[in-house]
Amino acid sequence: MFHVPVMDLEELVKHKLLPGHKLIAAVQAGLVQEFVKRDRALALIEGFEAADVSAHLDIIAANKRSGAVPAVEVERAVLVLCSTAEFLPSSPSQFFIESVLPIDARFKYTIDGLEISHRSYALTDGNQSAILLSLSSSRHQLLFEMTFSQKTNIFVSEVMKAAEGVSKRKAPTPEFTWLKPYLNNSASSGSSKPSAAGDHNQNSQQIFTIEGGSPCLVADLIGMSPEGADGGSQTVNSDGGAGGDNFIETGRDVVANRASPSHKGGLGGSLAAEDEADLLRVKDITLDNFALNQSTFYKPAVMPVLAGARESHVQHMMAQRQGSYTHALPLTVFVGTWNVNGVPPSIGLIEWLAVDPEPPDVYALGFQELDLATEAYIFQASNREPEWRAAVLSSLHPAARYVEVKLVRLVGMLLMVLVQEKHAKHVSRVQACTVPTGIMNMLGNKGGVSVSLELYNTSVCFVNCHLAAHVEEYERRNEDYDCICEKTVFVGPSGLQRYIRDHSHIYFFGDMNYRISASPEVNIRKLASAGQYETLLKLDQLNQQRRIGRVFKGYSEGPINFQPTFKYDKDTDSWDSSEKQRQPAWCDRILWAGEGIEQRIYRVHMALKISDHKPVSASFSSQVKVIDQAKYRRVHEEVMKQLDKMENEFLPSVSLSKSEVVLSPVHFLELQSETITISNTGQFPVQFSFIKKLNDEECCKPWLKIHPKSAFIPPGGDCVVRLDVKVDKSSAWVLASGAEQLYDILVLHLDGGKDYFITITGDYVRSCFGSSINALVHLNKPFCEVPVAQLIDLESSAPQKTLELPYAIPKELWYLVDHLHSHALSTEGLFTRPGLSKELCEIRAALDAGMPSRELGVSVHSIAQALLVFLEALPEPVVPCSLYPAALRAAAEGYLPAKQVVSQMPDYHRNVFTYLMAFLNELLVHRHENKLDASTLGSL
Amino acid sequence: MNRDYDHLLKLLIIGDSGVGKSSLLLRFADNTFTSNYINTIGVDFKIRTLDVDGQKVKLHIWDTAGQERFRTITSTYYRGTHGVIVVYDITNGESFANIKRWLHEIDQNCDVVNRILVGNKCDCKDRQVVLPEDARRFAERMEIKHFETSAKNNTNVDELFMTLTRMVLRNKQEQKEQQAGGKDKINLHSNKPRKNKQCC
Repeated sequence: MFHVPVMDLEELVKHKLLPGHKLIAAVQAGLVQEFVKRDRALALIEGFEAADVSAHLDIIAANKRSGAVPAVEVERAVLVLCSTAEFLPSSPSQFFIESVLPIDARFKYTIDGLEISHRSYALTDGNQSAILLSLSSSRHQLLFEMTFSQKTNIFVSEVMKAAEGVSKRKAPTPEFTWLKPYLNNSASSGSSKPSAAGDHNQNSQQIFTIEGGSPCLVADLIGMSPEGADGGSQTVNSDGGAGGDNFIETGRDVVANRASPSHKGGLGGSLAAEDEADLLRVKDITLDNFALNQSTFYKPAVMPVLAGARESHVQHMMAQRQGSYTHALPLTVFVGTWNVNGVPPSIGLIEWLAVDPEPPDVYALGFQELDLATEAYIFQASNREPEWRAAVLSSLHPAARYVEVKLVRLVGMLLMVLVQEKHAKHVSRVQACTVPTGIMNMLGNKGGVSVSLELYNTSVCFVNCHLAAHVEEYERRNEDYDCICEKTVFVGPSGLQRYIRDHSHIYFFGDMNYRISASPEVNIRKLASAGQYETLLKLDQLNQQRRIGRVFKGYSEGPINFQPTFKYDKDTDSWDSSEKQRQPAWCDRILWAGEGIEQRIYRVHMALKISDHKPVSASFSSQVKVIDQAKYRRVHEEVMKQLDKMENEFLPSVSLSKSEVVLSPVHFLELQSETITISNTGQFPVQFSFIKKLNDEECCKPWLKIHPKSAFIPPGGDCVVRLDVKVDKSSAWVLASGAEQLYDILVLHLDGGKDYFITITGDYVRSCFGSSINALVHLNKPFCEVPVAQLIDLESSAPQKTLELPYAIPKELWYLVDHLHSHALSTEGLFTRPGLSKELCEIRAALDAGMPSRELGVSVHSIAQALLVFLEALPEPVVPCSLYPAALRAAAEGYLPAKQVVSQMPDYHRNVFTYLMAFLNELLVHRHENKLDASTLGSL
Repeated sequence: MNRDYDHLLKLLIIGDSGVGKSSLLLRFADNTFTSNYINTIGVDFKIRTLDVDGQKVKLHIWDTAGQERFRTITSTYYRGTHGVIVVYDITNGESFANIKRWLHEIDQNCDVVNRILVGNKCDCKDRQVVLPEDARRFAERMEIKHFETSAKNNTNVDELFMTLTRMVLRNKQEQKEQQAGGKDKINLHSNKPRKNKQCC
């Protein structure tokens, strides 16, 4: 990872912001998609709502009455920036905003630690602690990997603060209109204000559906639904089918797609509708820059790095493919709410709970004012609870058997959740939570009690509430609602927190106490009795507050076709006749949120008259997800396979111009060069090296030199490796004796990947150089005319009987010495000046051909060097190795021991030794002319 | 944070040249097949992740060059191997005859290793020369499991790798238990292969 000074990044980001918008924190992070990580910058910014004045005024007016003065709410968002060049880019023009995540109610984050130990894949080495930050908005789910640092810390805590602020805010859910310039897309199409009250994520959609759906980046990268991908996705996948090999290309394709925002992106039918939605791709403000940079976009400067978060990707992908291994199971959910005004259950509840022909699968029953006794406030116990519980249990639908899943009570608020026995084993993670909102938000006379559970594979939350009373106190009710939403949290065994909004299905009900705000001249009782609900419902405070987006955003409520549920004289159907003359109202309501929920019935139960409220119930047909284990395993396996395949494609890979090198005949001391081109055909930089084979000291034989032995090749790049073959004195005799062939296999190893073998074969042309004295003396014809088999025989075995008498010394040696003797006895610098290598080769060729060297026009220095090389290349030196220590001793001791050593030498060696000594002696005679002295020659 | 795998195993594929070692690997790792014959000159390497009884097992699979001339070099890759797949071609008698040599090679280069015998190209029934009975008998004698596979038709490929992986895991588990349990008991028969599975 690259480390860049703090200021640079922040300044770059500031360049991208519009006036008035503030940068809170910025940090570098790796965007992890699949298990590829790309460099990105994250910026937390702050801005104000420009429009939306009317709603604000509304709130201000409301607050004036309740005495609160709302501050102007700032809103925050996270920008994801990427670079068209290397990271960090040198200029802001190379920097552009990739995605925008407004921090609203749908914004979520999770933080996780990670040990990066993928040594072979990550460009960084060693273990490095990092954190994984997952950010999700209504349209994005992005995973970032960040190194642990002060900056990261600041960024994350600021994001947390912002998210916390959102859940506390009382103003209408922010619209984030100020973010629009960052999106900068044709806002004309598809941006009609959502009006459907049931729309789940109004705001976010308003912003994020503008483009009409460019392709889902994540989905494209995954390449996971080839059958479902439409035109837009196919452009991305066109060159390779399954996604893996398109990673680097993707960025460019996204650019192309932006140019034609008209096409509809998205994934096929197998995916849930929410996944179908596009991931936001945002254009840079400076489009021109962008076009210029298109060609360089995502060039190798920004190499994706494999991140070590495979498991989280598997989970991510499994979540995306949920549709393919789950099916929907429709369950009937009966939700009831009743403010019982502290009375005991003197009557049966069948007329409330069991009036439908079919038994519901789930009961969720909320009571308010179950116990008005003062003790209930102070002590946990209540006498009423067991009474009402028994009443409920005895009045459930007779056609089915039920199991109580959870019962939770806070003072007078009781919530019971029951399921049919047959579903009991599919209910899990049952948790309850109570939130008081009474005096000082401490007392439990008002508040909410909730149960969270997993019904099959759908998370369901039931909230029974009792909000503040009195006609004018609707703002307090709003606040009670906010408080319940904010404080109701279910903590799982792993510490995972779930808020009400984190559930797929939410049922929110209870005595909400919203009244009918009517001017004195409106006769509510008359209208209510006459069944003119429409007029009254318009004046219903809950409807009004929802209309301005103050409460229950994203929730739905069915049409109310029944009379107000409050307030009646006990045991009658007549309106309150007490002194207070309370006006009728629909205090008792049932709302829901979530996909796949359909309300069938919404009604009041007039038959139960013991309270001043009448009980209300709603029956829903709710589609819960059921995981098919076999399908799940199959999909899981597919996902794993896909990831494996991708991982395999990411393995380094090269192609070689040849894997076999056949040399032309190799002569002693003659250099031969061959080249092999290594091309990186993979998607990552490749580090290659020629490695040692087992038991070998070097990666190749001594007669071979490799340049370079290791190197780094960028993707698409080449490296030319030169192989120099030269047989010199050290390797000649091994090859001459036939003990080894001119043959080697090189192992070319790719770091983190496979190995390639390169075979090198050639014929070594034997020469008198490197042959033994014993063999040479037996050859009476030119060396090159001797069959190879005979040479090998001569080298390996004792001199055999030949017809001709062997020479006393090798004739080649005689040629060389004779040449020097006759031409160079008085040459200055003999043996000390180097010869020419070209002439050495000529001498070698001439000797092998049996030609006297004096006929060559070569310099005597070359001849002298040839003589030295000849002696050095002997497999067994003139003074045999066995006698060498003795010879050294003898040299120090004097003439007699030396003579003894000489006499122990093999015959031909002794001949050669004597001959050479005689020659050297002769040279010393001429020492004045050739400037040689005994010590120089001795050192030879 | 979940770990990406619970076990990391190294598997090796050996056998004569042209019996389909690379094809088996390609089928298993990438689920593809090509009828173009490409000599492996070197040692190829691929990964695959399996879920074995809830455990995540990452396999590093090495595919070696089968040619005789590379024999000495490829033997260096046996080191640290957990399981070896010895492949012959059911249409090539010589490749089967050479199995003994390959098994010997394993003995020479590995200490404890799980082996599995695979007769590939079982899609070419018409040209089959190595009879399943013979192969089975041989495998029984050598106490190795035997499979007949087709990389081309994707027959038994996953099964063979899964079987070998399970063998390795069982072996590992037993070793661990032995170490943990101390010297009280060593079950000599636990490594014996169960009844051979015969397919095709």
